[in-house]
Amino acid sequence: MVGIGLRAAHYGEILARRPVAGFLEVHSENFFAAGGPDLAWLERFGALYPLSLHGVGLSLGSADPLDERHLARLEALVARFAPLLVSEHLSWSSFGGRHANDLLPLPYTEEALVHVCARIGEVQDRLRRPILVENVSSYLEFAESTLPEWEFVAEVARRAGCALVLDVNNIHVNAMNHGFDARAYLEAIPRDAVGEIHLAGHESSEGILIDTHGAPVCDAVWSLYGAALERFGPQPTLVEWDSRIPPLDVLLGEAAKARRAAARAGEACAA
Amino acid sequence: MRALARIQVDFLGALFDEGAAPGARFEVYRRTALENLHGALAAAYPVILRLVGEAFFREAAGRYARERGSRSGDLNEYGDAFPDFLADYPHAASAAYLPDVARLEWALHESRRAADLPPLDLGALARVAPELQGAIRFGLHPAVRLIASPHPILVIWEANQPQRDGTLEEGGGAVGVLVRRIDAVAAPVAIDAADWTFLAALGRGATLEEACTELGAAASAFLGPALQRYARESVLGDFEVPSSA
Repeated sequence: MVGIGLRAAHYGEILARRPVAGFLEVHSENFFAAGGPDLAWLERFGALYPLSLHGVGLSLGSADPLDERHLARLEALVARFAPLLVSEHLSWSSFGGRHANDLLPLPYTEEALVHVCARIGEVQDRLRRPILVENVSSYLEFAESTLPEWEFVAEVARRAGCALVLDVNNIHVNAMNHGFDARAYLEAIPRDAVGEIHLAGHESSEGILIDTHGAPVCDAVWSLYGAALERFGPQPTLVEWDSRIPPLDVLLGEAAKARRAAARAGEACAA
Repeated sequence: MRALARIQVDFLGALFDEGAAPGARFEVYRRTALENLHGALAAAYPVILRLVGEAFFREAAGRYARERGSRSGDLNEYGDAFPDFLADYPHAASAAYLPDVARLEWALHESRRAADLPPLDLGALARVAPELQGAIRFGLHPAVRLIASPHPILVIWEANQPQRDGTLEEGGGAVGVLVRRIDAVAAPVAIDAADWTFLAALGRGATLEEACTELGAAASAFLGPALQRYARESVLGDFEVPSSA
């Protein structure tokens, strides 16, 4: 099942054409309004496709208390749309009420691990459903880290009782930025821990790969996707494209490519 | 070894501190954070962006991000203090209308996201017993905003819509701007003194009788057509009648 990111630029065309898509993904926060046209759009799409609510602003990993107002609005949105998938990021973005509105990396320490697992539990209790959490891309590493990223992510899956959104583009970006083996990262993740896979494009700037979601999925990431399908079996997969949004057909082309990769992996499995 | 909280406080501090120079990789985060905030502000304030130009807007947005910062994990809430920021921004002092144009844009932004409510039930209103009508309290629809300004902000706003070339057209006699949501679109309209007086009174929680008293002799001719229009354009949300007991 391959889903696509639903962005305002494509609303009209998707309604008119009803393209094949396993689900439509939106950023939860973009529908936190009390009412108005955005929610009305989402109602229309929710009647046609399963939805994935992908959060970018809850700040699961910050050391201060969860933002009650944010959580309440997420809870209301989940209750209203009964989405197929609800996910957030293994990152932090705010502290003490000040927000960076970006997915900032955690130090990979036992303290952060215990903390983020407790927070995932808090959110799942509140929403009364499991959530998925996603590994993020990063451009620096903390001297304080005592675990490699893949061990941290694998431990979250083991301890928090939630499935992972494995973003294979983020794994590739981090492997290049921090010099590790992306395949070894996949091997470190328990086979039953993954509930969704994300694909996206990145860009390079001054020798650093940046996760812009503004380009086609590159060959290395397609290859890593194949390896992930082999290890984790077929998983709901999302093609993300958030900046310099292309014509819908380009996005649908990427989704078709992901479906073919999943089909090939399925055949290889059966053989 | 810094604890998680310390790491996060240090990180956020450096992110918005112009002076700190923690290296090329940290710079990626700084650029991304400022770019995200700039994008959100530009989306909420397209007319201000057009009026001041990209370079001025980018400078102002950067300063706003560092001084005020974002207080929500929802970027759609970012920028509420931008009109006040512009009022205090020395580089904008020669364009005194900018803060009020920004207030109009923020009102439109809020209006788009405000709660839905069924249209005012004029039938139910007509069934209120005559002796109770004066005590009716109307609520403004959640998507309604009223903006007063000594500047022709609506004329400026209209001239700077995408299909217009920025040339100001004559606009006369308006006291303020009413923003309401019609067919899911938040739209501003100039209103005269009677509308302003009446709606401002209702907004303060006045009863129908109190609001009509403020209108004076004009009230009787004003009221019927105005209520029809307010119902049609979702200006009024609902109403309460005190129990007769």
